[in-house]
Amino acid sequence: MPSSTRRLKRSGLTMPIVTPRFINNAWHRGCDYINMDLEDSVPPNLKGYARSLVRESIPVVNKGGADAVCRINHDLMEADLDAAIWPGIMMVNYPKTEYGHEIERMDAIITRLEAERGIRPGTVEIGANIETAVGVANAFEIVTASSRVRDFGGASGYDMSRDLGVEMFVAFDQFVYGKGEVELAARAAGREPRAAPFTPNITGSVSDPDRAFAEADAARKCGFRIGGGLHPAVVEPQIRGFAPSDDEVSDARWVLREYRKLSRTGQTWVQVDVSSVDREASPRPMASESYLGRHRVIDRYEAARAEELLQWQDLCQERDQEKAEAIDRVRAAESAESAT
Amino acid sequence: MPILVRRSNLIVPAVEQRAVRRSWMHDADSVTLDLQAGTPDSELPQVRETLRQSISLASKAGAEVFVRVNAQFVYADSDAAVGPDLTGILLPGVESSETVAEADSILSELERKHGVAHRSLEIAPSIETAAGVWHIRDIVNASPRIRQVGIDEAALAASLGITQSADHDPFVYARGRLCIEATAAGVQPVAVADPMGVQTGDLSREGMVNVATDLRNLGFKGIVCGHPSWIAPVNEAYTPTESLVEYYTQVREVFAQALAAGTAAAPFAGRMIDVPVDEWAKDVLAMSAACAARDAEKQAALAAAAAYFDPSVPVIG
Amino acid sequence: MTALSTVRRSWLLAPVSHPDRVSDAPSAGADVIVLDLAEFVAEPDKPAARESLRDCLLPANSTGAEVFVQIDPELMLADLSAAVWPGLDGVVVTRAETPGQVVSIDAIISELESRRGMSPSSVELVLSLETAQGNQNGFEVATASSRTWGLSLGRADLVMDLRPEPSGETHLMQYLMQRLVTLASATGTVPIGAWWRFPDRGLLATPENTLVAAQRGRAIGFKGSFCVVDNQVLPLNAGFTPSESEVAAAHALCEAYESATASGTYTMVSVDERVLTPDIVGQAANTVALADACSTRDRFKAAAVKGIPVPVP
Repeated sequence: MPSSTRRLKRSGLTMPIVTPRFINNAWHRGCDYINMDLEDSVPPNLKGYARSLVRESIPVVNKGGADAVCRINHDLMEADLDAAIWPGIMMVNYPKTEYGHEIERMDAIITRLEAERGIRPGTVEIGANIETAVGVANAFEIVTASSRVRDFGGASGYDMSRDLGVEMFVAFDQFVYGKGEVELAARAAGREPRAAPFTPNITGSVSDPDRAFAEADAARKCGFRIGGGLHPAVVEPQIRGFAPSDDEVSDARWVLREYRKLSRTGQTWVQVDVSSVDREASPRPMASESYLGRHRVIDRYEAARAEELLQWQDLCQERDQEKAEAIDRVRAAESAESAT
Repeated sequence: MPILVRRSNLIVPAVEQRAVRRSWMHDADSVTLDLQAGTPDSELPQVRETLRQSISLASKAGAEVFVRVNAQFVYADSDAAVGPDLTGILLPGVESSETVAEADSILSELERKHGVAHRSLEIAPSIETAAGVWHIRDIVNASPRIRQVGIDEAALAASLGITQSADHDPFVYARGRLCIEATAAGVQPVAVADPMGVQTGDLSREGMVNVATDLRNLGFKGIVCGHPSWIAPVNEAYTPTESLVEYYTQVREVFAQALAAGTAAAPFAGRMIDVPVDEWAKDVLAMSAACAARDAEKQAALAAAAAYFDPSVPVIG
Repeated sequence: MTALSTVRRSWLLAPVSHPDRVSDAPSAGADVIVLDLAEFVAEPDKPAARESLRDCLLPANSTGAEVFVQIDPELMLADLSAAVWPGLDGVVVTRAETPGQVVSIDAIISELESRRGMSPSSVELVLSLETAQGNQNGFEVATASSRTWGLSLGRADLVMDLRPEPSGETHLMQYLMQRLVTLASATGTVPIGAWWRFPDRGLLATPENTLVAAQRGRAIGFKGSFCVVDNQVLPLNAGFTPSESEVAAAHALCEAYESATASGTYTMVSVDERVLTPDIVGQAANTVALADACSTRDRFKAAAVKGIPVPVP
């Protein structure tokens, strides 16, 4: 995917669309996206009312620069899509995806609505969420069913636990197989894996900022770029956790410099002793990241990681600036309004 | 679909008369009489002759009874087993849907021959090789007779040239694949023989409860136990506790009140109760009721059986 | 399959563009020397490496090691033309991804075998499933050619950009390794790999970590592993050979079972409170058989080093 069209999803809040105080306050939280929920947090008798709110809520969540996302109901796909596909919507999350044909049908409906409502064709993404055993079993057919599925993950969490009849908060990773299947399918299809290292959560806490930071930090170091949550307290720690540190950026520049040296030698790899590197030099390697004691391996794989890291840093900074400017504009308009 | 409560399944060698005579006493949800492991081919005809009696004995306290047949003698072993007290056959070493299809037609024939209701007998495939693990989807969908599928870890290890130990778990993938594919097909995954590399004699009762709980939390619906000492801890691990039942009863009440008040999310005991939590509560309460019903059924059968058997023999042990 | 070909514990990669690495390799004690044209040969050096390859085959074999050549499937025709000569035991295919690729490689090898006076189907394949696509297509890839002897993840940690988790385990690797072991056994091939963890990377580790990676790898079903540096070879050989105490315990278990069941009637046998089932005894018998095969292999290599002609066991 060209980076110019890549939408960052480091942090996002999922909230019931029928609770106006959540939706109206979400825009200034600084998250990359806001997920307006039509599904589990909306009681059955309010589904119709919830639908009627989506179109007018899109500009509300957009005004602080967050992307608008809508989670629809698995069994109410058509009606929910009709309510959600309006200009400004970035993605629709489809829960409990089980078959490729569900995503194909969704793609066809979105394609029609894009055309009817003046949205650039192919831009609305589909979040195909894997939350059941059947979904895991059909992961590859699902991820390849539409090019609108840009990132792909799941196979853990509440619904998955329920489908397998297992407790959710245990001290070991219960979902190695399912998560593996889904991640392999995503990678094989050339989509971004939505994954993270396993960290035990036996409390089920959704609002602990330290935990949110630690998870985002571990995910970033593992090469993952997507987060999200339910509570405003986790937004800032996630944004921080997904940002490369200054040391990592310096390290990446050092790796690329060493790689340029290497490529002039006709060797494919070299071990560099990093113990004697001047700790004040710039760029310099990180002390803690050595693979073989004092030595660091430099090769094309390290260079590729370093390049990706520097690009990621640029993307993060651009996105943060974009959101800050959007929030400033709203504040300026508000103060202008209150002045008059 | 009604819940199938098969928490514990005691497997005993059919040739070992003493174990067979005691097999009904251990409170197992099901008993498997094994014609495969340990029975020399020369003794098979004799064991087959008394097999229906053994099955009837094993079922006295309400256990469902399976027979593990020999892969090369599916017809002869099943022919000796089919009768009103048999629930199904455990089919070892299944690697493809063809094996299941063959067993399916054999059972159809034997159902006619022995006057047992058509399509009533189950096939429980046992996965013992990597080929079985790889082709699991074809296998579990090969016959409507399949309601459970087992993964025999000791056999799988032997076929892969692995020596089981509790230090390194080689079967995270295999177990996960079995649980996902079985669940997707509506079939119950069960663990068989030395699960997680833990062998009989290695663990305290509490340790067994913990292993069984871990297996339950991987998605297994029951455990085939090589030793009677496993039965009680396995039943315990698979039965929702009273406090859990109480908690989820309250959850359902809180959620019902929230719905009546026009919201689908309500705080309770530090958690947010919404639709999925309420669904979960329904599952736990249904499982609890099903376990209680199964236990009552076994109690009733046990009481009836006690009338026929020497009351001085300890019932649980 | 001969005993020689089943015991392949250490696979030492030696880039053909580095004559010193190639000439040092035979003294490292590896079961297999992998002359590399793909991963560790810089692009401009490849033509010269291909030219020199044929002359490397026999010297590599001098200490009883088998000789494989590692190729790049994108350059299969040139790489195979340089590699398939008498003295070659097999080919390692990096980044194996599609069955079509493997079918083409098989056909090119067949053609070269016949043209160069080699016995048909003598060259074996080890396929390195290093990409997501290769793993996703694993079953079709593994069954595309009857030459396929083994499967490996190669340097998947680098090729797929899989990084260490806070636990020290490499992300996704537990799943991929156990999937590969299952896939290999299901397709009648041999899983090659070791259970590396941080700070190991791309088959590269200290001798100590290599030994542990081999032991852990054997515990989950791997039979041998690739390595990059000479000092990793002996740890691999040791880690993939059952230890003396394991063999002794396995022997005792097998004997207890045999003597108890010798009468031909059913007897319950327990050792250390463990009821012995045929599967547990089978596991022990495998250990004994593997230890025997390893010692045969080691005797063969020792004899080759001394220059004693020993027939292939």
